[in-house]
Amino acid sequence: MAVLHAWRAARVTPLGELHAPPRMTAVLIRLTVQVVLVASLWSGLYAHSGPTAGLSREQAITYAVLAVLASRLRELDQYAGRDSVLQHMHFGTIVYWYLRPLPPARYHALRALGEQVYGAAWALAGYAVCLAVGVVEPPKSAAVAGVFLVSLLLGQLILYFIMLLIDQWCFWMLRNNSAVLILIFAQNLLSGVYAPLWFFPDWFRTMSGFLPFQATLSVPLSLYIGRIRLADAGGQLAIQAGWVVVLFLVTRFLWRRAARRVVSQGG
Amino acid sequence: MIGSIEVRGLSRTFHTTVRRPGFAGALRSLVNPERSVKHAVSDISFDVASGELLALLGPNGAGKSTTIKMLTGILTPTSGEARVAGVVPYQDRERNARNIGAVFGQRTQLWWDLPVRESFAILRDIYEVPKAEHAARLREFDEILELSAFWDTRVRHLSLGQRVRCDLAAALLHDPPVVFLDEPTIGMDVVVKEQVREFLRHQVEQRGRTVLLTTHDMTEVERLAERVVLINHGRLVLDGTLDEIRRKYGSTWQVRATLADAHTAVVPPPPGIALLRQDGPQVVFGPDGSGAPTVHQALKAVIERYEVTGVAIDEADLEDVMRAAYVHAGPAAEGV
Repeated sequence: MAVLHAWRAARVTPLGELHAPPRMTAVLIRLTVQVVLVASLWSGLYAHSGPTAGLSREQAITYAVLAVLASRLRELDQYAGRDSVLQHMHFGTIVYWYLRPLPPARYHALRALGEQVYGAAWALAGYAVCLAVGVVEPPKSAAVAGVFLVSLLLGQLILYFIMLLIDQWCFWMLRNNSAVLILIFAQNLLSGVYAPLWFFPDWFRTMSGFLPFQATLSVPLSLYIGRIRLADAGGQLAIQAGWVVVLFLVTRFLWRRAARRVVSQGG
Repeated sequence: MIGSIEVRGLSRTFHTTVRRPGFAGALRSLVNPERSVKHAVSDISFDVASGELLALLGPNGAGKSTTIKMLTGILTPTSGEARVAGVVPYQDRERNARNIGAVFGQRTQLWWDLPVRESFAILRDIYEVPKAEHAARLREFDEILELSAFWDTRVRHLSLGQRVRCDLAAALLHDPPVVFLDEPTIGMDVVVKEQVREFLRHQVEQRGRTVLLTTHDMTEVERLAERVVLINHGRLVLDGTLDEIRRKYGSTWQVRATLADAHTAVVPPPPGIALLRQDGPQVVFGPDGSGAPTVHQALKAVIERYEVTGVAIDEADLEDVMRAAYVHAGPAAEGV
């Protein structure tokens, strides 16, 4: 079946991680420390105050912890497996992507899907533990949970395309290290991982509204904690879907240009 | 023909920016870049028959890798055309990909973090090879390359020799009729090299694969190839069998002489004879390719021209023959 063609490429990241227990241990420790610190920080901030910026203590902690867990869904560091576009360009092995009966775009997407599923397993396990010990609140209703999941999926698609753009940058510039650093900072700041966006001034939120980052995490997490009401979810989902379409078209165009560049330079 | 390669008037030109030296030069290059044109491959034509192993030789920068890249479909030629197993590689890359296997020197296509067998499984999936066929082919490759000793090891922990053997297997797992090997044994020890050569011989003789091999290892050429295409400065300078090349550029002899006076000027050597090497008073002569004298004529000419304290005759090895061919082909050519 065409849809299953080369599905094993999706196993690259999970298998690579399973064969490297120290890396898994590091992830476990990092995730635990991050969750504990973030929960402590927001508990401390709310210790002597009531709801701030329209957010209760429980909502704030739930948002912050879910942001940490959700950021595990897609690791920005893909270098361990030497399978990033950057490394293939550096080692000259990008030629193999163009020597196989599998379009590079499809291979890249399959690899990302595997990473996503692997990251989701970590995030889900972390969520279950946090829910069990009462660090995060459950969604208010099944409808909220459903809308949150759809929004999270769209947000992850947007994040994938943003990261793909950074990868595609390598076809022209050979390196993308600076772009990745900027992306990590922009993504964490503008998607509300560092702090929910409504703590920021109006001009910042207005500017952020024109960028795709808040659609990756801030929107789904705001839906989860009830900051965005279910009645307003449709519009937010539509904006997310719009970003998905725009970024899909841009990255598809760039894949074509990248292929043209490879065949004119010879990899 | 199923696995044949046809190359007609293939050319590839690169446009590059000339970087001027110094700070001011760098600034000028930024503001007013100077473009230059490099003809990496110019109008080369040759054929490789189905089931033939052809060595594509030439000094560094001669255009070998550029030619291979065009034949694998990674690079589009500026002009001319090529067909690999009936497919124009740069026009129908996906179809071409199913017909070819390729190994580019030490550049591995295996997944660094995974055991080799997982890499093979991913490739099986990508090339849609039936499971039983895949297993049978792996068994066959294992018999010669002894892969099972390390195919459960992660690629990052393999030695170079192990990794290249795995890369060879990976390139052939989907049973391609045509295989491109760009310096596959570079950096490998003699034992592994011999193992790889045996594998390649088996693939050509028993499986009928067409192999286009580039290498700087003349032992490899002697053991594997009957026919050689030599390119230099992007141009084809020779297409023939090893015997023909020997006849034209090297016959089969060398005259080694020890000069009585180490400071004796050895240039110019007698007509028809080329100085191949000099190390102090030790000099080695060979035919220069222009109406080569016989070894006895050469011996006589050397003794008559120089005062020598010792002299010996050797059969020239292929490396010397190729060196003579490169020198004959162009002034900027390097050693093999």
